[in-house]
Amino acid sequence: MSAREAASPLLGQPRLTDEDNARSLDRSRVHQARGQHRRWRLLWLLVGPGILAMLGENDGPSMIAYASDGAQYGIGFFVPLIPILFMMAFVVQEMCMRVGAVTHRGYGELVLQRYGRLWGWFGAGDLTLTNLITLIAEFVAIRVGLAYFHLGAGVAVALGLALVLFTLSGGRYWRWERTVLGLALFNGLFLLAAILVKPDLGALASSLSFTPLPQGSLNTLLLLLASTIGATVTPWMIFFQQSASADKGMTPADVGHGRYDTGLGAVMAAVFGIGALVAGAALMHHGGGIQGFAGAGFPAALSRVSGGAVGTAFALGLIEAGAVAILTISASTAYAAGECIGVSHSFNTSPRNAAVFYAANVGVAVIAAVVILIPGAPLLSIALNANVLATVLLPVSLVFVLMLASDRELMGRWANRRSTNALGVLVVVFVGLCGSAYGIDSFLQSVHVIGGP
Amino acid sequence: MSDPAPRDEDDEELIMHLQRDQLVAATFLPVAPAQLDRRALLGLWALRVFAVVVSAMVIYTFIVRLH
Repeated sequence: MSAREAASPLLGQPRLTDEDNARSLDRSRVHQARGQHRRWRLLWLLVGPGILAMLGENDGPSMIAYASDGAQYGIGFFVPLIPILFMMAFVVQEMCMRVGAVTHRGYGELVLQRYGRLWGWFGAGDLTLTNLITLIAEFVAIRVGLAYFHLGAGVAVALGLALVLFTLSGGRYWRWERTVLGLALFNGLFLLAAILVKPDLGALASSLSFTPLPQGSLNTLLLLLASTIGATVTPWMIFFQQSASADKGMTPADVGHGRYDTGLGAVMAAVFGIGALVAGAALMHHGGGIQGFAGAGFPAALSRVSGGAVGTAFALGLIEAGAVAILTISASTAYAAGECIGVSHSFNTSPRNAAVFYAANVGVAVIAAVVILIPGAPLLSIALNANVLATVLLPVSLVFVLMLASDRELMGRWANRRSTNALGVLVVVFVGLCGSAYGIDSFLQSVHVIGGP
Repeated sequence: MSDPAPRDEDDEELIMHLQRDQLVAATFLPVAPAQLDRRALLGLWALRVFAVVVSAMVIYTFIVRLH
């Protein structure tokens, strides 16, 4: 349905679409649970976008990065850092959820309409580029996990694309969300891997004092900090949670539960992230130094050092992390495309009526899949640059999140309070500075103005 | 199971189980452009310069690293 066709009925009796009917069905369950004071049922119905955004960010490259941090530096410093970073992610994602629930609109369309086409398209372009590169990294992560079971790149591609097509086949947001949510819970495999390596609980407790600091120069520490922060909040999470909250049909009445959802997601993501770190730390004194995607043999190395069960849990965890991220990142691309072009952008609409949305969803995944099948493609370089690209332009997205959430004309009484704004500004400035520092530092290294870490 | 009357904290008019501004027809109506003061406009211009400069740096870095 075109925007013009849809808008005219508002003057009289609104015309209901299939999307309205599907969303209304989901909302009827929410109203029923609320009316009957069934608190757990209500929570069950309203969780989703927050957990998916947070666990989606615990993606393949992030989990390999956490494990690499553990293998190279041990658990000190990072164990308390990860929860702090996810608290900052909570501040940003809560604003996205609130804006989506109050305005019923996605981030892309609001920025475009409120602050001009230039910013709207800039955000969508930035997102598409970084999403495409991140998706390539996700397919690589699945390939790394499958390699442990002696399966190749072809299987990784087939698995990823089959999942995208399967989750899109239902024609309902609810079904898509619950399928991906069920899959995302297997992110807990990283916690299982951590338990299986039997970590020293005393060392875990003492690491809460942020010690020992990672060895190396201040520059190394700064880069490490910036890259870890950059891997906690990304543009796709912003687009995804706001659009998914609107697509789910959340309203201002659901903001409280949206906060539980986002908070629960942050806690789970932090715990599972620490799990990957602790599991990786088992390799510290056994030929550590395995970094990033150079650590293609991570599950195999864990298997040798800590037993086959740990290697299997880690390999399966990588497959899950990559798969869930493929689904959520593809969805965020599809939302952005539909919102900026001004056509239907909902899982509650059929592919025939939302061709751009579904084509973008599948298309971006297909392009990423094709890249990993190209013989000799510089996958390592692409994967390592994914974080740089995503983090360096993050401040732009964060500024607009803050502007939208504090826009009284748009948000009414749901706009940021002064204290929330102060916290938000603090997070935006901190994350923005670190992200930019990371990008600028990478640039200065590439032009040999400063040496590498 | 019977469906009790829908209730929302805001007691807004509901069409089926959706708020009026939640309908597809309503969400396709554009929101008004923001009226920004001089300080905000300056801030956005600064952001624009930052985005262009940093984008150029990132693209350069990306190309260099690809090789």
